[in-house]
Amino acid sequence: MKNTPSTPADDVVPSRTTGAGRLLITVYGVFAISASARAGYQIATQFGDAPVAYLLSAFAAVVYIAATISLAKPGHKWAVAATAAICIELLGVLVVGVLSLLDAKAFPHATVWSMFGQGYGYVPLVLPLIGLWWLYRHRAAASR
Amino acid sequence: MTIDGWFIAGAIIGLASTITCAVAAVMKKKPNDITLLALAAVELFILTYAAASVVRLANGGHIAGQPWEFWGYIATAAALPVGGFYWAMMERTFWSNYVMGAVGVTVVVMMARMAQIWYGISTPA
Repeated sequence: MKNTPSTPADDVVPSRTTGAGRLLITVYGVFAISASARAGYQIATQFGDAPVAYLLSAFAAVVYIAATISLAKPGHKWAVAATAAICIELLGVLVVGVLSLLDAKAFPHATVWSMFGQGYGYVPLVLPLIGLWWLYRHRAAASR
Repeated sequence: MTIDGWFIAGAIIGLASTITCAVAAVMKKKPNDITLLALAAVELFILTYAAASVVRLANGGHIAGQPWEFWGYIATAAALPVGGFYWAMMERTFWSNYVMGAVGVTVVVMMARMAQIWYGISTPA
């Protein structure tokens, strides 16, 4: 989650970790921690109840951790990694959101992404859009 | 969930901390004594809540949910202001105030969950 304060001199891309990027990474970090804790708790205590939902929880946690780390790291490769992670995140919240809407009984409020992240104030739905916008802006700045 | 004095106090302190930091950020101020104190207040509240919870348990109180889940929330909530402080201080711009503001509201959400665990009106996990 932490980033080394000094980036290499050859890193001409304006760092993703400055300014608003720090807030974005903070929110991602909070979701990484809460999703991991929730998934860990679910799997440790009641895995048998709904293995698919809880594995989905764990998957969401991994995606948030990957997004947090890749956003915090400098360089082009990490930007690609962050874009991939956030696209998976967006896909996840949309697919799980639709599934939970269509069949609420089979899909209880068991993951971060159920009902498009309703239980988390829809932040899981908005966060990937902001993340992709942030990455896009910094890509545009890099090509100039 | 049962709303007790602890949750109300936590909600007031957490939201006040977030609002303080957000206002300072909107005014494009760098982190200053006021916003740092707002963050410290959240940490102080969580430590007080943790100590009080130990006392309540010692006096025959009872956690309806899983105790280790409750203490996990306490530990995480206590770590948040510290982590937020370091993450904000590594780059002191007005954005750091937004980062610190994120801590208060997160702790309020966690307080709600801790109240659920303590009183036992648990949502499906």
